[in-house]
Amino acid sequence: MFNPLRADQLIAGMGRTMRAAAAADGPADDYARGQLLSAYSISRLLASEVRAQPELLAWLRGEALAALERSADPAAAPAGERIAAAGDPAAIGEALVDLFAELRREGRDSELRDSLHAVLREMAARELAVLAARPEDARVGSG
Amino acid sequence: MSVDAVKATAVLEQLRGAGAVGERASALELTQLEGGWSRHTYALSVEDPERETGVEYIVRVRPADSVLDTDLGQEFRLYQLIEDEPIPSPRVYGYEPGEDSAFGGPFFVMDRLPGGAVNVWRDRDRDLLQGDWEGSRTLAADFADFLAAIHAVSPEKLAGAAVARDFRATVARWRGIYEEVRLAPDPVVEEAYAWVLDNEPEPVEPRLVHGDYRIGNCLLDGGRITGVLDWELASIGDHRFDLGYMSLDYHGGRFVAAGSPLLGAVAERDWFDRRYAAAGGEPVDREVTKVFAALGALMLFSIMGTGLRLYADGESRDIRAAWSRYVFPGLRSDLIDLMGW
Repeated sequence: MFNPLRADQLIAGMGRTMRAAAAADGPADDYARGQLLSAYSISRLLASEVRAQPELLAWLRGEALAALERSADPAAAPAGERIAAAGDPAAIGEALVDLFAELRREGRDSELRDSLHAVLREMAARELAVLAARPEDARVGSG
Repeated sequence: MSVDAVKATAVLEQLRGAGAVGERASALELTQLEGGWSRHTYALSVEDPERETGVEYIVRVRPADSVLDTDLGQEFRLYQLIEDEPIPSPRVYGYEPGEDSAFGGPFFVMDRLPGGAVNVWRDRDRDLLQGDWEGSRTLAADFADFLAAIHAVSPEKLAGAAVARDFRATVARWRGIYEEVRLAPDPVVEEAYAWVLDNEPEPVEPRLVHGDYRIGNCLLDGGRITGVLDWELASIGDHRFDLGYMSLDYHGGRFVAAGSPLLGAVAERDWFDRRYAAAGGEPVDREVTKVFAALGALMLFSIMGTGLRLYADGESRDIRAAWSRYVFPGLRSDLIDLMGW
């Protein structure tokens, strides 16, 4: 969820790799084959990611906001506002980074940290499950 | 048959200068191999009339878009210094420091050792390692014994060939790179940096640290390890880094799905710890190992983050750098497990 590079950057990269392979003279060496296989791997992982990201983002936002609403820490409400307004996972990540830094600096509310850690733990597990799913198993037209 | 004449000539000059081949030696084939993120690797076949059989060499290049800002010359000297240690490593020949070399960066030449590398993220390679574990365990034994041998090398011998870095300096190095290259803020990584500093282990006497010790950086042949390679992250520091780093689930083959249940896909953890200690290594403290495992995961975030930054900025066209973003979810999960969230 907090992974660098956007989908459009990945798609453009796969295209460049394919074009380079098509333009190459002679049989591909190990390096060139590795480039093509990496592009293929990205295509599969990205397909699973794109399909699941809206649901995963909504889940992360909802769970993080619920944890913040349960907390009386003064930093919880401003962090909640940022997360509610966040347009993408990176913006949620940035809000959490700042919140954790403030809690650590002030040495307060380990309960809030613990509950957000639990959210991130579940998020990591869900993200791995999404990426491990084979894209060809997704039904056409399903959301 | 494929030979880039300019590159081949540059390598042959180094080999002739080191007295490894005769004046009439010629290149038969030069191909770039798949592996290598911070270094590019080429295999060169040489025909030498002064020898009865052909000879194979490896050319190790530091490319301009390397994900590691490490000194190839230092790596070359390290290979030279460990040549007489009980660690299987290739003999190295000439080192060319020029950034404008035929390979587009500094390079050195070394013998091609017998054997091949495994990729623990491939099912068939994990099956091969599982077979060793269930059978002779010779690979598993070599893996433990050679790590103990690395940690037994006298640090004094390595002066100038490896950077000295204590725990705090190591954390600062990787954190600095993370902050410099990061494209997306990561709350798990930020919390992990605080956690490793909160759990700083008691220091030990500095030793040689390989820095990237895993079965994928070894050559395997006939059920034995025939080479320990990829020393670009070597340092003089806390040897427990190697023990932690190799224990990451990622190095057991976990990518987005589970990997091998074996430590590093090679051996059961208890067995490995006993074998390592029997070979001369210090007894392994699992709690300390966890801290170094987390530090190892953070190092990978920084190295792969560098590749991603170079790719995003258009300074690299290596699609593997873009692919490495998909390593992050598993590494994040490793960190979460280690921190006990």
